[in-house]
Amino acid sequence: MSGPSFGFFGRCLEIDLTSAAVRVRPLDADLIADYIGGRGLATRLFCDEADPAADPLEPGNVVVIAASPLVGTNAPTAARGHMVFRSPLSGLIGTSNSGGSWGFAFKATGHDALVIKGKAPEPVWIDITPAGAAIHPAGKLWGGDIHATTDALTSGFGPADRPRVLCIGPAGENLVRFADVANDRNRVYGRGGPGAVWGSKNLKAVRVSGKEKIGIRDLERYKSGYDQAFHLLRQAPVTKRLLRELGTAGLVELINVIGMLPRRNFQDCVHRDEDLERISGETIARTILERAAGCHLCPIGCQRRTRITRTGSPDESGEGPEYETVVLMGPVCDVYDLAAITTANYRCNELGLDTISFGGTVACAMELAEAGALPPGFDGGRGLRFGNAAVLERLAVDVAHRRGPGDLLAEGSWRLAESCGRPEASMSVKRMEIPAYDPRASFTQALGYMTSPSGACHLRGGYAVSLAFFGGAKEIPRFSLLQSPIAIRNMQNIGILQDSLGVCRFTGYAFGSDPWSRMLSGATGMDFSVARLEEIANRIADLERLFNLAAGAVPADDALPARFAESPVVVAGEKRIVSREAQERMRRDYYQVRGWDENGRPAAGPRPPRRPDPTEGRRP
Amino acid sequence: MKEPVRTTMTVRVRFFAAFRQTFGGKERIFELEEGTTLGRLLERLGDSPARRDEIFAAGEAGKPPALHPHVVVMINGENASARGGWSGELRSGDTVAVFPLMGGG
Repeated sequence: MSGPSFGFFGRCLEIDLTSAAVRVRPLDADLIADYIGGRGLATRLFCDEADPAADPLEPGNVVVIAASPLVGTNAPTAARGHMVFRSPLSGLIGTSNSGGSWGFAFKATGHDALVIKGKAPEPVWIDITPAGAAIHPAGKLWGGDIHATTDALTSGFGPADRPRVLCIGPAGENLVRFADVANDRNRVYGRGGPGAVWGSKNLKAVRVSGKEKIGIRDLERYKSGYDQAFHLLRQAPVTKRLLRELGTAGLVELINVIGMLPRRNFQDCVHRDEDLERISGETIARTILERAAGCHLCPIGCQRRTRITRTGSPDESGEGPEYETVVLMGPVCDVYDLAAITTANYRCNELGLDTISFGGTVACAMELAEAGALPPGFDGGRGLRFGNAAVLERLAVDVAHRRGPGDLLAEGSWRLAESCGRPEASMSVKRMEIPAYDPRASFTQALGYMTSPSGACHLRGGYAVSLAFFGGAKEIPRFSLLQSPIAIRNMQNIGILQDSLGVCRFTGYAFGSDPWSRMLSGATGMDFSVARLEEIANRIADLERLFNLAAGAVPADDALPARFAESPVVVAGEKRIVSREAQERMRRDYYQVRGWDENGRPAAGPRPPRRPDPTEGRRP
Repeated sequence: MKEPVRTTMTVRVRFFAAFRQTFGGKERIFELEEGTTLGRLLERLGDSPARRDEIFAAGEAGKPPALHPHVVVMINGENASARGGWSGELRSGDTVAVFPLMGGG
């Protein structure tokens, strides 16, 4: 490489698995100026390469992973990667983010982004170093779980040279539509089924190692942002200590206080306090937590390293559970058994399953079982019913291997419910399962789920939950039809920027865009003012929308399941639904706020994605 | 003899996270005079210097105390600001929740 690189190397590694061709192509500085990195850069590269009509599980799908200009600096939490692909769950854009250390290690190979195309004739893994990329047969790695694969590919290295591994487990190999891709054993690109896309490409793992460094162009500017960010992270109680002490499951009881904690496949939000105490963040901290841990460069430390002790079986240790897992595998399945939730979480970690979609799909199956809508003998005597904690762990194994009832559950709740003639039993948006906040308790969150480009997601759709906690001027009334569209657009844009900067969402509890603007401008020597960052976020949102439209999305996809419009829950003493009229009005206003026409098409936007090949099928 | 006029009401206060240590339990039941404001209840909660420091920011002399920005107070699941905030009157049967601003997801 000639001369120092500031913020980015200007190198994109492209691998075609069909032909085993590897090439490095230059990455223009304009791309960084317009899309930063992470989610923005990955979305741009994906849209330039992917055929929006190609089946997500066929070789035409493309996987892009990108780091950001801050990855490689010491900016707090800036070690994350972002992956974009066409989702086998939604048929639309799949867009998923992960912490851990892989993103940081990938950047140290001297590349900013990785594009993977085609399909290997046999299972393979890829080794990336500053010298380039080598494709190796996966051999016995294929069939192994995520921990075994990670251990096999990192054994024999000292701590200073230890490579990092991103890989799939059996769930990805078996094309489970909500299979994840994991690094550092338990940090996952969780949502939308990226693991199945890797599996369809016969790609088991990508190992990275290197010591390439990027420079910082304007150290003073960078440092002014860094110092401010670090100071504020140490000030705000959430980032200073609460997430470390309680983990994200510290939210369980609080979300119940605001009437937003779902139960029984979102049939109601009613829990007994003593039941919630059994699965709360406090209880996790008091009973099973061995220690808290953080991702690379993270001072917050929300990870839970836990140990489960049960009479009659050996102790087990692993990671989790976090808030989403606790609620989706817990109350949403009418389960309040911490040991059962945690061990099922361990299996999902090892086998490579997204715990949100897994919990949501099991809950859907439980409702179908209760209604007698499943085929006779479907559960093979496993006891598929609400409240049966023992079924969780067994089903995780079944789903990952597509055994027995697991084969249909592996299709996700929407396809499961549809095949039983009860699509209304799937609590999903764009066929992706809803996370652990009931949309009837916040119109703002409801609109976030409706308009998330990837389907129901609290991260891509905008996190409205904290808005309900603020008092005074900061608070957005959570049932305001008028304010929700602007509020959720703003929350989505903050998320787009954090994903594109390669930093953690939780930094948002301590500070906003300003310190990032200074760190990013300082690192690259380019001018990223706060106003410019906002423009970039809008550009990325427009591009994601354009891909979805090209992939066949229509405005009617931006809607909640009928349950939320028809069956009320009681929130703060009042019966609440999100009526179809309310959804329609918010959707219309949201399009307007985004500068989209009445069909949700960006009026003027970035260069559109590649045109669909008319010979390919439409949405799967 | 005339029936005595009922002048008290029952309010339940629930504590979460670190406030359970601060206030020595998960909840306290208060018998309060009718018309008691949220501000008055919060002052009663801060009945020791340690408890006061946990929920109140150091205020300016001559001004009423203010909560720390990270202290969330909800009445029946809605932010207390929707019920008149500090000067809003509590009603019999209200449940007040006190917790630190928490994040996650």
